[in-house]
Amino acid sequence: MSNYSILVVDDEADFRDIMIKKLHKRGLECEGAGDGDTALDMLNPNKHDVVLLDVKMPGKGGIQTLKEAKQKAPMTEVVMLTGHASVESGIDGIKHGAFDYLMKPMDVERLIEVLDAAYERKRTQMEKIELAQVKKHMAMPS
Amino acid sequence: MTNSLLGRIKSLLGFSTVPQLSLEELQRLFTEKYCNFRELLTANNNALEAMAQMENALHDGRAFSMAFIRSNATVISVNIYKMIQCLVTMADGRYGMLEERFADIQQQLDNIINHDVIKVEGRWFLPLHEATRELVDLAGEKMANLGEAGSLAGIRIPPGFVVTGSATRYFFQQNNLYPAINRIFQQTDPSNMEDLHERSNEVQSLIKRAPLPIDLEKQLYNQFDQLVQKSKTPVKLAVRSSALGEDTRQASFAGLYHTELHVDRDDLIYSYKSVLSSTYSSRAMIYRLTKGFIHEETIMCVGCLAMIDAVMSGVCYSQSISGRPGAMDIFFSAGSAKGIVDGTKDTQHYLVERSAPYGTIHQTAESSPADARLMDEWARDIATAAMILENHFGTPQDIEWSINKEGLLYILQSRPISVAGKKERDQVGKRAVNEHCLLQGEVTGCAGTASGPVFVVRSNLDVLRIPKHSVLVVEHPLPQWAPLLRKATALVAETGSEAGHLATIAREFGVPAILSAKGATKLVNGQIVTIDATNQTIYKGRVEALLQHDQPKNNPMDGSPVQKAMIDALQLISPLHLTDPTSPYFRSSCCQSLHDITRFCHEKSVVEMFDFGKRYTFKKGAAKRLVDNMPLEWWVINLADGFIEGFDSGSNYINISEIISTPMLAIWEGMHAYGWAGPPQASVRGMGSLFFQSTRQPGIDPAVPSAMVQKNYFLVSRNYCNLSVRLGYHYAMVEAYISSLRTERYVTFRFKGGAADERKRVGRVELLAAVLEHYDFRIEKAGDALTARVEKRSQAFLFNRLKILGYLTIHTRQIDMVMDAPGQYKRYLDKFLLDIEEMIANEK
Repeated sequence: MSNYSILVVDDEADFRDIMIKKLHKRGLECEGAGDGDTALDMLNPNKHDVVLLDVKMPGKGGIQTLKEAKQKAPMTEVVMLTGHASVESGIDGIKHGAFDYLMKPMDVERLIEVLDAAYERKRTQMEKIELAQVKKHMAMPS
Repeated sequence: MTNSLLGRIKSLLGFSTVPQLSLEELQRLFTEKYCNFRELLTANNNALEAMAQMENALHDGRAFSMAFIRSNATVISVNIYKMIQCLVTMADGRYGMLEERFADIQQQLDNIINHDVIKVEGRWFLPLHEATRELVDLAGEKMANLGEAGSLAGIRIPPGFVVTGSATRYFFQQNNLYPAINRIFQQTDPSNMEDLHERSNEVQSLIKRAPLPIDLEKQLYNQFDQLVQKSKTPVKLAVRSSALGEDTRQASFAGLYHTELHVDRDDLIYSYKSVLSSTYSSRAMIYRLTKGFIHEETIMCVGCLAMIDAVMSGVCYSQSISGRPGAMDIFFSAGSAKGIVDGTKDTQHYLVERSAPYGTIHQTAESSPADARLMDEWARDIATAAMILENHFGTPQDIEWSINKEGLLYILQSRPISVAGKKERDQVGKRAVNEHCLLQGEVTGCAGTASGPVFVVRSNLDVLRIPKHSVLVVEHPLPQWAPLLRKATALVAETGSEAGHLATIAREFGVPAILSAKGATKLVNGQIVTIDATNQTIYKGRVEALLQHDQPKNNPMDGSPVQKAMIDALQLISPLHLTDPTSPYFRSSCCQSLHDITRFCHEKSVVEMFDFGKRYTFKKGAAKRLVDNMPLEWWVINLADGFIEGFDSGSNYINISEIISTPMLAIWEGMHAYGWAGPPQASVRGMGSLFFQSTRQPGIDPAVPSAMVQKNYFLVSRNYCNLSVRLGYHYAMVEAYISSLRTERYVTFRFKGGAADERKRVGRVELLAAVLEHYDFRIEKAGDALTARVEKRSQAFLFNRLKILGYLTIHTRQIDMVMDAPGQYKRYLDKFLLDIEEMIANEK
C-alpha cells in the first residue's frame, strides 16, 4: 500500500500522540487534532485521505464532526474509533458515511489494515470519478 | 415474478434479456459491485470473529466483563449493519426487509447489553441505626445488615452513619466520572495484570482528584459533628466500604475494599474518597471480573462507625467451617481484628456448641485460669449473639466483633458465610503422607488437591510475574494477593487462619489452600509440588494418586449476572437457522439471529457476484481469446487491472504472458502442471448413460451454444479471478480474491453435475471433497454439488490452493463414469494427492 495521509482526531492527547508516532513509523503521513472544530479547520480534501476520528469528544462530538467532514471533503474516508462501545453511534456513523467503526483498544496492525482498506476505497472512488470525467470530455458513449 | 417469467419466455425464444455493455461500463459496474462485495466480506469476517470471541469466552472458562460483551456485540451489530447496506447496494435495492429484522433483533440485544448505572435515589446520609435490609440500595449490604442487627435485642453496634449510594452517584455525576471510567474499562485487558493495575490506578486517581461537591462536603462534616456531639468524647471513625453486592452468600468481597481506621475530621473527605476509589482497586476489579459482577451495578456506599477501643476482637462463624455439625468457630486475638483477617496475627480458636449454654468443645488458647474463665464467658456472649444473628438473617453468619475495655461486645459486621465447610481429612491423603512429604501445614483454608510449580511471592512486583497454574506461596495471606488466586492452582501461606479474608476468597474460587505452613517460603521457585490442602500436606513432585481424587473446579462465573447477560446476548447472536440456501425459508424475513443475517447477506452477495456474468453480457471485443495449445476455448475479460499496461485493447487475442492477474496465473499453472490422460475407459452402460444425460440436459452439452456456457471465461483483475468452466458434462467455478489484506482473501470452488448416474456423480464429489479437505478447504456437499472454501490465509497458501483447483478442474473430467468400479476411488485419490504434492512441493 502506497503512502497516504491521515488526520488523527482524539481529545486524549496521549493516545493521539502514540497513534501518530506508530502510524509515522509505518511510513504514513500523519497529523493530529484535539477536537472536532480544530479537525474541521485542518481538514484538507486535497491532502487528507483518511480521518481517524474519536467518537466521544468534548465540544463537537464525533458524529457531528463526521457529518461536517463529509460535507467539506466527501472523498476523504473517515474511520471512527471509540472507547465507548455503542451500537447506536456505530450505526449512526455508518449511515453518515463512515468507512468503519472500531473499538479501542485496537491492535495497530489491524488498524492499519482498516486504514489501508479505507484509502483503497477512496482511491477507487476517485478513479471512478476521473473516468467519468474523461468520458464526458471525450464524449464517449456511456 | 412477471419479469422473471418474461425473461424465461424470451430466453426460450432465444432473445437475450440482459443489456449488452461496453467494456468500460462492464468494468465500472464490476468495480462498484466488487467494492461493496469486498467490504461486505470484511464486515462478515469482523462479525464472525467477534461472535467466536464471545462463544469462546463463554465456554473456555475465562473471566469476562460486561465491557467485553458490549464491545463485541457492538462490533457484530455495526458490521452486520454494514453488510446489509453493502448487499442492498449490490442488489439494486432488494432485500430491504433485512433492515427491519436487524432493528428488531438489535433492540432486544440492546436491552441486554446496555446497563445504565443503577439509579439510587434518596437521602445522602442515614444514621446507622436506621439502616435496614429494606434500605439496602441506599446503605449497601454491609451497613444494611449491621444497622438491622443493631435493632435486635441483645445486639450492640457502634454509633455511626452511612454515606449512601445516592451521595456516591451525585459525586460521580457532578464530576462526570462514569463515562471516564467506562472508557478506561473498555480499553482494559483483564488478562494482563500489569495493564489492569495501571488502569485501576488511573481510575482511582480520577476519583481521588475529583472535588467533593460543596453541598455534599458540608453535610458530611455536619454528620461527623453530630456524632461527636452525641458521644460527648473525641470520636475517631472507622470508614468502611458497604457496596451493593458485597457481603452476600455468593460473594463476600472479603477484604477487597478499603477500610480507613482512626479517621478524624481532617481526614474525613480523603478517607471517604479512598473507600470510594477502592471500588476500582485492581483486586476488587479482578474479583468482580472472576465472579461475573456487572461493574455498572457496583455502587459503593460508605459506613462511618465510631471506633471501638477493643481489648479483644475476632471473627465468629455461627456454623463451623470445619463442617462439624452443631459447632461454631470463634477466632480471636488481642486488639483489633485486622491482624486476624489479614492473617498477620497469631490467632486463637474456640470451637463452641451452637446451642445454649454454648459449651466449649475445643480451644487453642494458652492462658491463666482467670483469663480462661473470662474468655469462656465472652465466648458464650459471642455465641449467643451469633445465634441471634443467624436466626434473624436465616442463614449461618460470618461475624466480626470487638470487646471493649468495659467488656461490652460490639458487632461490627454480620454477613452470610459464603461457602460450605471443608472436607475432613481423607484416607487417600493419609496414605500418601509418608511418600514424599515436604512440609506440613496446620490449617486448611480451602480443601482440595492441586499440583504445579512453586512461585514464592516476596514483593508487589511479583504479582506481575506469576506464571499461570503456579502454587502460590506467601508469608502472610494478605487480601492484596487475592488477584493472584485467579492464576494460581493452589495457595500456601506461612501464617493465617480460616478466618482470614484470603482464605475466604480461596474457598469462593475453589483454590486449595494450606495456611500456617511454617517454612513454606523456603520452597524453591519452579519446583513441582502437590498440595493436599484437605490434609494440610505439601508433597514433592506430582502425586497422581491424590490428584485423581481432585474434583474439577467450578467456574466462579457460573450463574453470575455477567454470564447470564452473555448467554442471553448469544441467544440473539449465534444460533444459525438459515443453513440451506436452497430452502424456501432462506429468506430475509426468516432471519432470527444476527448470525442468520450474516449468513443470508454472505450467500446473497456471493450470488450477486457469481451472477455478474449471467446478468450482464458484453459487446464483442470485451473478451480476449487466450492463445493456448490446450484443445479448449479460454476467454479472458479484464474487469480492472488484470492485463499488462500497454496491452492492445483492439486485439482479439491475448497471451498468458500479457496477463498479470495473480489468482488466474495460479489456476492456469495448476491446469498445465500435468497433461490430461484423456477420458477414463467406461463400460458400454456408462457411455449409454452419457448420451442419455446429453439428451435430458442440453444445457450441460458443450455443443449447445449460449452466452457463458460454451466458452470458458476468466473474469480478472490483478487480485481477482472468476473462472466459469464447463468441461464435458460438469460445471465448475473458481473464484478468488488475494490481496495484501489478509481479511479479504478467499478462494471458493463450486462443482456440480456430470454425465453419469447420480450415484457415480456423488462418488466424484466425495473424491473431490476428500482431496480438498486434505488441503484445508471447508466443504459443503449436497448430492452431486460441492462448495469448498478457504479464507484469510497467507498468499502463498492460497495460490497453492488455486493451483490445486486448476489441477482438479482438468483432471476430474468424466471420471464420474468410472466411480463405481472397484478400486477407482482410491486409485484417483492416490494419484491426485501424489501429483498435487509434487506440484506444490517447490512452494513448501
